[in-house]
Amino acid sequence: MRFRRRILNPLTELTIAGLLVVLVLVVDDWRFSLAVLLLLVLPAAATSGRAVHIAVAFGVLAGPMLMFLLLLHGLFYPEGERVLLDLGPAAVTAEGLLFALEMGTRVAAFTGLLLTAALSLEVSELLETLTHRGWNRKLVYVLGSALGLAPLVADRAAQITRAQQARGLVVTRSPLSKLRALVMVGRPLIAGLLTDAADRSRTLDARGFAGTGPRTSYRADTDTAAQRAVRWGLLAVVVVFTSWWYVGRHT
Amino acid sequence: MNSSLTLPSGTAAPSTRRILLIAGAVVIAATYLYLVLVQPAEIAGGAGTPAGLTTLLGFLGGGALLVAGILPGLNTQAVVLMPVGIALNISFGQLAGTLGLPIYLDALGTVLIGVLAGPAAGAATGVLSNAIWGLFNPFALPFAAGSAVIGLLAGLAARWGMFRRLYLVPVAGLLTGVVGGLLAAPVAAFMFGAAGTMGTNAIVAAFRAMGDTLLVAATKQGLTSDTIDKLIIFTVVALIVYALPRRTRNAFTFVRRHRVLLGASSGDSGSRDESAAERK
Repeated sequence: MRFRRRILNPLTELTIAGLLVVLVLVVDDWRFSLAVLLLLVLPAAATSGRAVHIAVAFGVLAGPMLMFLLLLHGLFYPEGERVLLDLGPAAVTAEGLLFALEMGTRVAAFTGLLLTAALSLEVSELLETLTHRGWNRKLVYVLGSALGLAPLVADRAAQITRAQQARGLVVTRSPLSKLRALVMVGRPLIAGLLTDAADRSRTLDARGFAGTGPRTSYRADTDTAAQRAVRWGLLAVVVVFTSWWYVGRHT
Repeated sequence: MNSSLTLPSGTAAPSTRRILLIAGAVVIAATYLYLVLVQPAEIAGGAGTPAGLTTLLGFLGGGALLVAGILPGLNTQAVVLMPVGIALNISFGQLAGTLGLPIYLDALGTVLIGVLAGPAAGAATGVLSNAIWGLFNPFALPFAAGSAVIGLLAGLAARWGMFRRLYLVPVAGLLTGVVGGLLAAPVAAFMFGAAGTMGTNAIVAAFRAMGDTLLVAATKQGLTSDTIDKLIIFTVVALIVYALPRRTRNAFTFVRRHRVLLGASSGDSGSRDESAAERK
């Protein structure tokens, strides 16, 4: 189960996923989207070592979306002319079903590509690559800090909710009661987070966060010159292909 | 208090940053105009049209340009606040689900940072929030430009003193929701075929049944859902900010300089005088 593919740098994986998303949007054909999904995303997710994690996330995010697409466009597509089934205000049309198929495969490929890349990467390795590549230090800090804070904030929110419930907070079905609960949980949560942030701000300033000099990283650079070349090369290929697809193909 | 005494306060040249900001705003506006004006042919045509690509690259790229222009100019205090806002967006988005609220609440952190640290920090928080959330939920990614505008408008509303008069807060939220809804509609329509949650889907289906094009239906749905969502978010943020200890909320340079909140100037209780708080 601990079999992780550790061939490429996270930045390279994200770049490849992003460029494939661009290709899926450019070609905009359900057969191409389906091919990307089955021939690239599926093997990549299966060998990532986090296949179950990716599958669950994909199901939770894309599942309802695909169902809604089918319902929405399968039943309500006023532009459709070939009516397969008339249901009064709703009508099943061939054009609507085709649109749902095209959107559905596109959405599935988009979700699959990005989720597979994001869920199989090591965040710390990504941040360290960005530092070595000279990305804005503030940006790298915001990325790393937000990813670290998110589970912490969720934890603290749950704790505060339980504490307020112990003090008599009861959430009824009325929206006003829910809104009150939101403020009762939000106020101590945000007050605590802001105090922490003020402390961090002073600590960072004392350590020269605002300085502009060059930085060193404790961790070694896992990025290679070859991967950098591959990233730029792939980007160039996608740009050339896209311009040919929209301009050159028709002339 | 925020500027370091020992290090030179070197940032990118202001002119470069201004060019990036203008470029970002132009890209986002041009993307929106292109999508809205060219839309009728696009959505019926289906395959072979660059609407989806334009939506993703235009809104995400415009957002990236905005961040590149804003980030070098922010002080440490604002930079440290941004991850807090992003984490709040994510956890309140989830909390709205667990409380069973029919709204998203996923811009609460963005609005909070806009109010406490200003429009620039708010806009950058919006973009980065969607970019980071996009790692776990790719559907958030193309909505980055809309989030930037929400953070920007929240900051501007705070700067123009709308948070000093509590009855203006819901109005500011409503207006922000209108702009946010308009910007989100083409993303929903061209990237995802207007599929969203159960509630938003029912609204889109109703407008489609009346014969609206997909973009018009998505826009009407956005205007309905986003205005209510932002109205509630602005109100909740105002309630929370006013309930914070005075020392905490007065610690923010933006809040003090622009007298964002009632009694935010000097800390004495006599500063509730409206005329004194009007203009310095």
